This record gives sequence, structure tokens and C-alpha cells, in this order.
Amino acid sequence: MGMLAWVMMGLALWHFTVWLPDRYWGGIVGAFIGALIGSALFGLIVNGFSIPGRHDTHLYTALEAIPGALIGIGIIYFEGVRRERAGGAGPVQI
Amino acid sequence: MSDRQRHGFVLLLVVGLIAASIVVLATQKTVLGLDLKGGIELVYQGEPSPQTPKVTQAALDRAVDIMRSRVDQLGVSEPSIQTTGENLITVGLPDVHDVKRAEDEVGQTAQLYFYDWEANVLTPAGKPAAQGLLTQDTDSVTLSTGGTAGQPGVPGAGGQPLYQAVKLAAKQPPQPLSKTQSRKGPAYYFFGAPGSAACAAAAKADNTKPVAGQHCLLNGPDTSTQDLYDNLPAGVTKADGELVTVPQGTVVLQAANPSASDVISPTSPNAEFFVLKDNVALTGNDITNPQPSTDQSGQPDVTFSFNGAGQSKFSKVTGEIAHRGSNVSLGGQSLNQHFAVALDNQLITVPQIDFRQYPDGIVGGGGADITGGFTSQSASDLATQLRLGALPIELKRISEEEVSATLGQQALHQGLVAGAAGLIIVMLFLIAYYRVLGLIAVAGLLVYGLYFYALIKLIPITLTLAGIAGLILTIGVAADANIVIFERVKEEIRAGRSIRAGIATGYKKGLTAIIDANVVTIMTAFILFVLATSDVQGFAFTLGIGTIVSLFTAVLATQAILMTMGDSRTIARPSALGAGGKKHEWTFDFMGASKYFFSLSGVILLIGALAIGGRGLNLGIDFTSGARIDVTLAKPATSSSLQSIVRGAGVQEPVVQQIGTKGTQFQISSKPLSVGSGRVEQAIAAKYGQPKSFGATTVGPTFGQSVAHSAVIAIIASLLVISLYVTLRFSWKFAVPVLIALMHDLLITSGVYALTGREVTVDTVAALLTILGYSLYDTIIVFDRVRENIPRMPRAAFSQIVNRSMSEVLTRSLATTSCTLLPVIALLLFGGSTLKDFAFALLIGVASGAYSSIFIASPVLTHWKERESVYRHRRERIEADYGFVAAYASAGSDVDPARDRSRRRGGRLTEPDPEGVSAAEFEQMKRDIAEEEAEPRRRTSTLTKRLAHSSDGEGDGSGSGRSGGNGAAGTGGGRSGGAGRGGSGGRSGAGGRGAGGRGAAGRGAGAAGRGAGGGAPGQPQGGEPTPPPSSTPPIDPEKLDEPLAGEDFEHAPDEPEEGGIARAPKSDRSSKPRRGNRRHGRRR
Repeated sequence: MGMLAWVMMGLALWHFTVWLPDRYWGGIVGAFIGALIGSALFGLIVNGFSIPGRHDTHLYTALEAIPGALIGIGIIYFEGVRRERAGGAGPVQI
Repeated sequence: MSDRQRHGFVLLLVVGLIAASIVVLATQKTVLGLDLKGGIELVYQGEPSPQTPKVTQAALDRAVDIMRSRVDQLGVSEPSIQTTGENLITVGLPDVHDVKRAEDEVGQTAQLYFYDWEANVLTPAGKPAAQGLLTQDTDSVTLSTGGTAGQPGVPGAGGQPLYQAVKLAAKQPPQPLSKTQSRKGPAYYFFGAPGSAACAAAAKADNTKPVAGQHCLLNGPDTSTQDLYDNLPAGVTKADGELVTVPQGTVVLQAANPSASDVISPTSPNAEFFVLKDNVALTGNDITNPQPSTDQSGQPDVTFSFNGAGQSKFSKVTGEIAHRGSNVSLGGQSLNQHFAVALDNQLITVPQIDFRQYPDGIVGGGGADITGGFTSQSASDLATQLRLGALPIELKRISEEEVSATLGQQALHQGLVAGAAGLIIVMLFLIAYYRVLGLIAVAGLLVYGLYFYALIKLIPITLTLAGIAGLILTIGVAADANIVIFERVKEEIRAGRSIRAGIATGYKKGLTAIIDANVVTIMTAFILFVLATSDVQGFAFTLGIGTIVSLFTAVLATQAILMTMGDSRTIARPSALGAGGKKHEWTFDFMGASKYFFSLSGVILLIGALAIGGRGLNLGIDFTSGARIDVTLAKPATSSSLQSIVRGAGVQEPVVQQIGTKGTQFQISSKPLSVGSGRVEQAIAAKYGQPKSFGATTVGPTFGQSVAHSAVIAIIASLLVISLYVTLRFSWKFAVPVLIALMHDLLITSGVYALTGREVTVDTVAALLTILGYSLYDTIIVFDRVRENIPRMPRAAFSQIVNRSMSEVLTRSLATTSCTLLPVIALLLFGGSTLKDFAFALLIGVASGAYSSIFIASPVLTHWKERESVYRHRRERIEADYGFVAAYASAGSDVDPARDRSRRRGGRLTEPDPEGVSAAEFEQMKRDIAEEEAEPRRRTSTLTKRLAHSSDGEGDGSGSGRSGGNGAAGTGGGRSGGAGRGGSGGRSGAGGRGAGGRGAAGRGAGAAGRGAGGGAPGQPQGGEPTPPPSSTPPIDPEKLDEPLAGEDFEHAPDEPEEGGIARAPKSDRSSKPRRGNRRHGRRR
């Protein structure tokens, strides 16, 4: 249940990435992957690499995914920017 | 075969199948499932045994065969026994009266084990009795002779209370697994201390009294500690007792019953137990021809023979027993030794081997008999079980559902009402919206219903409630297929085609999308059928078969009807087909607004995630284990009085919920029933009279795990198959948005369930999986149009292509979604609780699916595709030329002739020309030719010169062909053959496809290939420029990549890459004039 909450939160936050310039590494799909992996990974780390079960999942469990999703999206964004600068041109085609 | 002949043949086939269906309906019986006619359904989980260390499909099949034979012996008609998932066996027994006996007979392992008694039975000191006989150890002698009881293996013959026996067994060292053992792995027992609250709670649950001074068994034996703890009595936790583990290699067997009339329950304070080394001499597999019989004293017994291996083993073990008897019989004393016969953890008998009579054992050629505490019935049952053979695996019952016949009829009635309502609503919708076409669709639906019902009877498909849900859903599928085609037909007719041509082209173009969408539904149904539990299998099967049948009726049958009517006055005017007026043009900027819709989804998911975290999902007993009893009383009662009645009947922690206001309908939830549901029904009947309907479901904890496991595998398998299919049919970049949209739909549905607190059942999971297929339906419809428009708009930005595609299919999408939702709403309104479970999840999922295909999948695709250099350059070019990218490409730049055909719309269309170009296309082409001839020089704009050096067309997805070479070739064709727009060079801007392919083909009327140009508002029409013959030499296709001498230009910005990563070319195009391009665009 905890994983469901994390993934859902990650997906929810990903939806707002459309408001930023599309400079993500891999585009909007890259941001999607970053958000999901970030939220799930951060949730796991916070919970000592265990997934809260049905009775251990609380409101905070869902909130735990927010920093992870933001970090994941951020990493993908800055990697995209870095590659863009390194290439000296527009976004890289994937 | 001509079209007319083909349609005549199809119609003949349809009529013939209708006649055959009527015959089937009149002669065949409908097979109703247990939930519709009443009965009991048991779900067993197969577990390994020493003889079958791994539960394989072969072992499950063998177990099913044996169980089927047992059920046949019970005289149950139309039983259903099948394997499900990896290790489950579902047994459906309709109209069973003696439920308890049926349960015992069907699922009992019935493995008979023969032990050398003295060599294996342990004294309280933990030594085999045989070791103490020579020293006359009291315990050993008692175990061998039976002590005061007079015969070994019965109560009072040296046995111990269960706790002491289990503790003794727990001290034995574990033994490595061997085929001579009866059990694989340890056995777990959970005991409560004497006088503890746990023992009091357990006794209360069993309606007994705790035995003073004795440990009580709270649960066990079980092969899993999780199952052990999950099934503890009400009010008992794992902290309240003591876990005792009996290692592999040691067994605890209950003493044999003293007589047939004195059956001792394992939980009785009088029950005694023996501890044996688990060293089996031979098993029930070694015997043949067991028969009920009577011994010399007239008592019932069971006689049998041995097979070859059994005879040898029996001879060997009895020889060893006889020799030992001879050895320990000292001083004239006769200490005959024994062998023990045990069945399902209880001794049946412990007969002696007279070493004087059989000094070398018993050869066994004449067989043997088992006596001991049998009644005629139990002897007969044992003989039957032995004759049919033991189950090759251990079976654990994990779910039990009992439905009374009345409850079944009630459910059937609700299902039929919901189905009829769904069908009528869809029919009304179709007629109202499509008029004559709607009537034909309704005829198709009726034919579909007839075929499908006939198939259900013919195969036969066991019709269950879930199956009815699937059937009702396929009504939507069948209607959807018609809508997709009819919208296409209307488009074609509005575009100026004749009625016949419009119908032919509409069906042809609509078929691709329908097949794509339906294939995915069929694949999802197949995956569901393979992986899901039996209930869901019924749903999946009807969904799959229904989809296939609907393809036939919606595509072939209605097409034949329409084409046959093509020349009739009924559909002579477009208005009769709903194509009379101008089509509603959606001008909404879907891609522009997608940010807001994305945000809306984000907010919904955010709320859903918080709900999942804060409230969680309300998992039903299918996942959490427990019991649910649905009862309709003969007279009103209160919840509290009913609660006390069922508690008194042994139901643990009952929660009674009244349904409705009459006070007669209740739903009782409790822990898994430890008493038979019949006992509960009797208790209710005694107080309130015989219930009008009664249904009980008990689910063990492992059932929920099994369902969840199957669901996860089914979802993953479905997603993989869907991805693969979309990749193959479209491209992998189309598959990723599809997956994201599916994930969006599933999570939104989950979030809504968390928010509303609605119970999640196994039916909900089935509905979720079905959403995968349905959600994809809409997405494929949209993507199919995007795919079609890509080569038609070779100069447009991807957002413009998608916007236009959306605009074209939105009406269709709304209609198909409505058609699917209407029967779902009928299910929700008129169906019973099971159908409502399906319907609610489907309602959310289908609505979300329609939304996500437009506002999630397509924007994601757009965002992603626009990163491709070809589309990025188009966008840059458009922005450079016009300062912005309009939502829609202008009509003038789009070669699709639909826009110019309105003037032909009003009158009767009397020029059937299904294969040729439409009149509007022809007019367009004439204008193109005239322009070409009038302004030959104006075609060579700067941009078109650039494009002359593009070696390829538009690249990924655009389907463009070779440009330069084809352009050149097209020129020849165009000039000489009269047009060849695509090939006419820079003028028409046909993308690669139009150029060489269609232009050269000179499709129709000797006019032209239908160049597929298109582009941004007023933007230039690129395509394959061909310099005028008078001024420019022919282009060598081999030198297309080389700059032309004397020309100062750079590569066209939309030159496609050869693949891999390519960077955007640095362009200073904004500083260069685009007069030629703009002029070109304006002119169009």
C-alpha cells in the first residue's frame, strides 16, 4: 500500500512538470521516470528499505514521496540542461 | 468475386447463422454458474507433499481428475472442477445438500499410510517402543500391548494429551526429506496456557468449555506460521500463546476411535495422541481394489489387494515385524508386534502380526483388510477414497462460498434486468444519434446478442454473474465498433463521396482502428482468463468471445446490410445517415490547454495519493480473509438480535449490517467461519423462520494473496502485451504515452476507491484489468488518426497534427465512451452487489480512459515527438515565419480536400466512384495544375530549393517516402500524365509519400496522385521540388545529398536524421527572408 501511495504521489507531481520548459533529459517521459523512481526510492530510504503495509500506511507515507519525486525530476532536469549546454545546441533527440 | 456478390454472401451467412442460432437457443440448455443457481464453491490451494515435492500443473491435473471422480461418487450433477492460476483448484458443486460431507470427500488428501508401529512410535522418553521391549520398559510395553485398553493405538493405550505429544515431537531432530515421509517441512501448533484468557476465547469460539489444567490448541497444525496466526480465534493474538514446531521427520497422530459410535474430536479433552517417526512403510498408492466389507464378527471393514510394489513392501515390513516379535518374545511370552494404518493424521487401526502364524511376514498375495471403528458409511467412503486414489498433493481450503438457489435466482434476475436496460439504452442512443445508420447498428446489436447467446449455450459457457457483466460490456464494444465506422462513413460522405463510396471507404478506414482496439481487448481478456480466479475467468471469457463476435457483426454484417441498401432511396441522402449538415468542427486548442488538464489530473492524483495514505483501500474479505453472510429473513429483525443469534451459532466477531429499510435483508461480516455455514443458517431459521435467501462466503488469508499475486502478474502481462502491440502497430514512441495513460487511469480509479471508501473485491480487480483494454480503445482511436494525419501534414508542427486529429475524432470518442458508459451505468443501477462492484470500477476507469487518451496520452506524445529534430525544425520554421504556431494548420495548406466539398453536399449523390478521387479532390487537382502551368518559376522558393536536397522524407512516423528521387519521378508522371501533384515538385508540397507513390500512380481520372500536403497556417508547402525542365537539369537521385553547384543554401531544417542522436542544426533562418515561402503559403 505504501508503494502505491508513493507512486501515485510521484505521478501526481509529474503532471505539473509541463509548466517548466521542456529541458528534461529524455523529455516529459524522462521526467516521468525521474518522478516515479525518485518517489519510490526516497520512500524506501526513509522507511529503511521496507514498504509499509496496509496498516502501516498513513498520510505521511504519501507525503514522504514528495521530496523524492522533486529530487528525481530535478536530477532529470539538470541533467538535461547539462547535456544541452555540453552539446551547445538544443535538446538532444532521443 | 464482386462487391455485390461478396456482400450477398455475407448476408446469406448472417441469415444462416441467425437460423442456426435460433435452433441452438431452442434446443440447448443454458448452463448457469453457482452464483446464479445456488450451490457451493470451494477453492483449494495445492501444497507440496513428500511424494510430490513441487506443485506442478500435472499434479494439479491429476488431483482434479481424482476430485472429479469423488464428486461423481457423490452424485452431484454438473460439477465444475478446474485449476486456476499457479496452484489453485476451484470446485463448484451445484445443488449440494450435504455440504459438510461434500467438503470432506472432495478435498481430503485420503492418503493411507502404513507404519511399523513399534519401530516408530515413541515413548515419552523419546525412544522407539521397540528399543524398550527387550528391557521390559513399561512405556514401551504399554504402547505395544495397549496396556489396560487391550489394544494399541487407541485412547488409554499409552497416548498423551496433544500438548505433551507435540512437545515431545518438537524435541526430535529434523530429518532430511525422503519419499518415505508423509509430510514435507515442519508442522506448527499454537497453544494457549491452562486457564489463560486465550483458551477461554478459543473455547467460546468453539462453543465449548476450556479444560482445566490443560493447554488448549489455539490453532494448528499448519505448514505456515502466517496462516497459523491469521486464523487465530477471535480475541487471540500471537502474543497470547506458545508456538510449538514439530520438525520434518516426526508426526503426531490422533489415537484411533474406540468404535464407530465413539468418535473422538481432536479438540476433545479425551483425545489422545501418539508421536511417531515419520517412516512410512507403504502408502495407499500401493493397494488395489479396496472394497467395503464386513469382518467375521459382522463389523464393517475395508478389504483390498496389493499391487506388485505394494505386495513386496508389505511382505518386507510384516516380515520385519514378525522377526522382531519373535525376538522380543522371551520366556514363552508372546509379544506380537504391530503395524499401524493412518489416514489424514489419525490412526485407523493398529493390527498385530502373529509371528507364530507368519514367521516371515505376510506375502500379501491374498490382500488384507482394515478393521476398526467403521460404520457402513465410513467404510464405504474410505473404500471409495482409496479406490479413487489419494490426492498427489496436499490441499488447503482457502475459500468457501455457499449460495442458496433463491439468492442465485435473485442475482440472475438483476443481471438480466441490467443487461436488458443496457441494451435498450444503447439502442436508443444509436437510433437517436445515427438515424438510419443507428437502426442498422441496432440490427447488428440484435444479431450480435442472438449469436452470442447461442454461443454461450453451444460451447457451453457457464454463465455467471461476472459473465453477465462481461456480456453487457460487450454490448458497448459492439456499439463502439459501429460508431467508429459510422463516423468515418459520415466523414467520407461529408467530404463529397457518394453514399456507396463513403460506406466502402468508411469501413475500410475504420477497420484498422477497430481491429487494433479490439485485438487489445481480446488480449487483455485472454490474460485475465489465464491468470485470474474462476469468477473473473467467466467475465474474461465472455468478454473475449463477445468481442470477437462483435467484430463479425459490427464490421461484416452491418457493412453487408449497408452496401446492399446503398442504392435504395432509404439512404439516398446524406441526411439519412446523419451526414447532412456540416460536421461540428472542434476548434479547441487541445494541446495548448493540455497544461491545465495535466494539472487537473495532477490534483486528482494528489488527492488520491493522500487518500490512499490517509484512508487506505477498503479491502474486502477476498484480500483480508473473513466471512460474509448475505441473508434475507422471512420476517423483520434487528441487527443486534441477529448478531446475538449468529454469535451463538459460533460466528466470530460478527458485524451485522442491515441492507434496505424492510429489516429483512442483512449482510454479516465476521472472521472466517470455524463452523459450517449450515449451522448458522439453522440457527437463523430457528429464530426467524427459513431464510428467503442465504449465501455465505469464507475466505482464508492465502486466497487474497493469491488473488493479488495473480492481479499483479495479469497487469504486468497486459502492459507488456499492450506495449508490444502498440509498438508493432504504431511505434514505440506511441507505446510509452499509452502506458502512462493506463497508469493514470488505474491510479485514478484506485484513488477514487480510497476516497469513497468503497470495498475492493476480486471483481474490482477484474474491472481494473478490463480498464486496461478499454482505456486503450480510445487512445488507439486517437493515435490511429494521428498516424493517418502525419503523412498528410508534412509541414505541420506535431501539436497541429494532434490538434487536428483530436478535432476529427473527438465526436467519435465521446460517442464511443457514451456507448460504453451507458451499459455500465445500467449495471450500476440495476445490477446486484457483484455487478455493481464491476460497474463502479468500470465507470471510473472508462471515464478516466476517455479523458486520458485526449488529455494525457496525446499531450505526452506531442511533447515527446516535438523533441525530434524533424518536428522541432518545423516548429522553429513556423515560428520564424509567423512568430507563433497556431493551434491548427490552415485548411488551405492541408491537401485533404474535405473542406472544399460542401457545395456538393446538398443533392443526391449519383456518382458512385468508390475507387476514384472525389469531385472536390478533382477540382483541387485541376487548380493545382493550372497554377503549376501559370507560375513555373515561382515554385523554386528558397525553402523548396533546400528541400530538394533532403534525402529522405519526414522520418519517424510520417511515412514519407524518398523525396528527391521520387519528386523527380513524380514530375515526369505529373507532367505527362496530368498532374501527379505529389510528384509535381515544389509546387504542391506533397511529402515524400505523395510524391513518388501516388503521383506516379496517377490515381483516378487520369488526374493525379493525391498528394498529401499540408502544413501550418499559411506556411509553405514543401515537398519535393523539381526545377522546371526548361531551366534545371534532372536531379540525379544518387546525388541528392550533394549541394547543387552555384546554389547558396543550407540543408533543409526538417531534413531527417538517419537515426540515433542528432543535434539541431544551427540555423540563422530567422534573419533570412522567407518571402518565397510565405508567398507560397499564402497562395494556398
